[in-house]
Amino acid sequence: MNRIEERMKQLQDRNEKAFITYMTAGLPDMERTKDLIRAQAEAGIDVIELGVPFSDPTADGPVIQDASYRSIMNGTNLKKIFTAVEEVRQDCQVPMLFMMYFNTILHYGVKAFVERCAAVGIDGLIVPDLPKEEQDELTEVLERVENAPILIQLVAPVSADRIPMILEGARGFVYCVSAMGVTGQAANFHRNVRSYLESVKAVSKIPVMMGFGIRTADDVAQLKDTLDGCIVGSYFIQLMEECGYDLEVAKDYIRTFKAGLAEE
Amino acid sequence: MMKNKKYGEYGGQYVAESLMNTLKELEKAYREAIADPKFIEEYHYYLKEYVGRETPLYYAANLSRKYGTKIYLKREDLNHTGAHKINNVIGQILLAKRMGKTKVIAETGAGQHGVATATGAALFGMECTVYMGEEDMARQALNVFRMEMLGTEVKCVKTGSRTLKDATNEAIRTWAKTAEDTFYIIGSAVGPHPYPEMVKEFQRVISVETKKQIMEKEGRLPDCVIACVGGGSNSIGMFAEFIDEKDVELIGVEAAGCGIETGKHASAFSVGQAGVLHGMRSYLLQDDDGNVQIAHSISAGLDYPGVGPEHAYLHDTGRAQYVSVTDDEAMEALLELCKEEGIIPAIESAHAYAYAIKKAKTMTPDQIMVISLSGRGDKDVNTIADYFKDRGYK
Repeated sequence: MNRIEERMKQLQDRNEKAFITYMTAGLPDMERTKDLIRAQAEAGIDVIELGVPFSDPTADGPVIQDASYRSIMNGTNLKKIFTAVEEVRQDCQVPMLFMMYFNTILHYGVKAFVERCAAVGIDGLIVPDLPKEEQDELTEVLERVENAPILIQLVAPVSADRIPMILEGARGFVYCVSAMGVTGQAANFHRNVRSYLESVKAVSKIPVMMGFGIRTADDVAQLKDTLDGCIVGSYFIQLMEECGYDLEVAKDYIRTFKAGLAEE
Repeated sequence: MMKNKKYGEYGGQYVAESLMNTLKELEKAYREAIADPKFIEEYHYYLKEYVGRETPLYYAANLSRKYGTKIYLKREDLNHTGAHKINNVIGQILLAKRMGKTKVIAETGAGQHGVATATGAALFGMECTVYMGEEDMARQALNVFRMEMLGTEVKCVKTGSRTLKDATNEAIRTWAKTAEDTFYIIGSAVGPHPYPEMVKEFQRVISVETKKQIMEKEGRLPDCVIACVGGGSNSIGMFAEFIDEKDVELIGVEAAGCGIETGKHASAFSVGQAGVLHGMRSYLLQDDDGNVQIAHSISAGLDYPGVGPEHAYLHDTGRAQYVSVTDDEAMEALLELCKEEGIIPAIESAHAYAYAIKKAKTMTPDQIMVISLSGRGDKDVNTIADYFKDRGYK
């Protein structure tokens, strides 16, 4: 069974909410990226989104743009990230997915990319510039390759009538973008965020996660009943930058967030 | 020719989910507008009375004599604001108005599209923000002043290569945030569907006029038409009416910068690799890791790593031919056009002319070529002066 789906099922059985973080691969360097993955797994993170840096991240705000840029300048590329994941997988089974732009996949070659993901143990993909209408090229290959990652679907506050179409056949979890625009706009959720989340929840057979602009469990306290979990990206990167990638800070943050989500 | 919002395998809608309904609304509004005679009438009213169309198809007698073939210049440089960009802006801004939007945003490289958008926004009373790379703001300072005079806010983009590519990224991000009340006016024949098609329709007027004018003057179609290609708005406008006229050779001229072999160029076709950027799939300059490569050209308007998707299709099907000329060739040609015909062209347009000289040498006295003079060179005076400072104007 796919590690993400397996984790989602465990959480459901335990009636627990999921916590997912995003980290740009290659920061501050590839060795410490591996350490940070292991530390997060130890602290009980449910899924790790590993950002594959791209030169033109149009779905991302300033924090992830800057992180991507610095990582590329460090020499990070997809091949090196695959190698790092392969090494981590020797001793760590935390669910992991790639967040990346479609050009990086195309450049690597769709088939070669999917096969390499399956071989190193990448469980899922989030491709923000690949809306449902453009996915066939990728899903055809995902369906053919054994242990291929699952493609996570994104929905937005204005998706409205598109939601059932997007969720048809969706696996793992559905990623609800909390606001219009890009990542990292501090807790500035869309004005109709509750009714939007409810409308997704109503038709979704899989867990519903919210991301974009979340910093602490308090930010989502009022929305918890409509969510199965949440995703923190820009804020987590900032936190790690500020503490110099102190693994204890990361672990504390994850434990505190998980505990906050569990509060009634 | 279009299938599933694509030209062959090119084009498409590679955008965030949050923009998909926006694009759907845009396409619906656009289709309704161009089918509405009132909309078309209004568009042509402004083109005539405000932009100053039609522009002349000028028989360049001195050049024709010099190169021994008939050379015509389509004078888009004589449009209000100094380039062809205004044709498309009038179309898109009328559409924005029709859709009830109150704000417009745009990206700009050379600043001509930015100035055209700022002009249209002033004319129609819309709030306007233009995104421009820091490097381009320095190269095209005069156009920054013009936009500001017209009441537009110019936002300086300091990410990536600090040129058109990054300005476009920033405009897309802003649009994703504000699409509910903001219309994004894309200036080149790029971006997600329906933009490339829409830009072509609003630039088609260039070839509609050219066709009519050459029939009046020569009683037949030209043997070839030549236009410069950055994203490809001017060239697609010049090609539009001739695509189905199989005897007319279509030639697009990209910027070879310091030379293709140096890697410092802006010729998407020279490397021959497809990719996805700015919501579309097309030819794209990339490095070994699939990151977008920084383009280089002395001309800010051609300094773009990709190319419009219909050009990619015309390239693959062989209907159009794409060539490139270097910075030096373009600058030399620019000076020649000044001296021979008394016309200071934009550096972008000088690229088309530079290749036209080579082409003319293979043509006979009764053959006809049309060169699209996409814009005037006023905005480039600083760049031109810098370039010739040590070389002299001969």
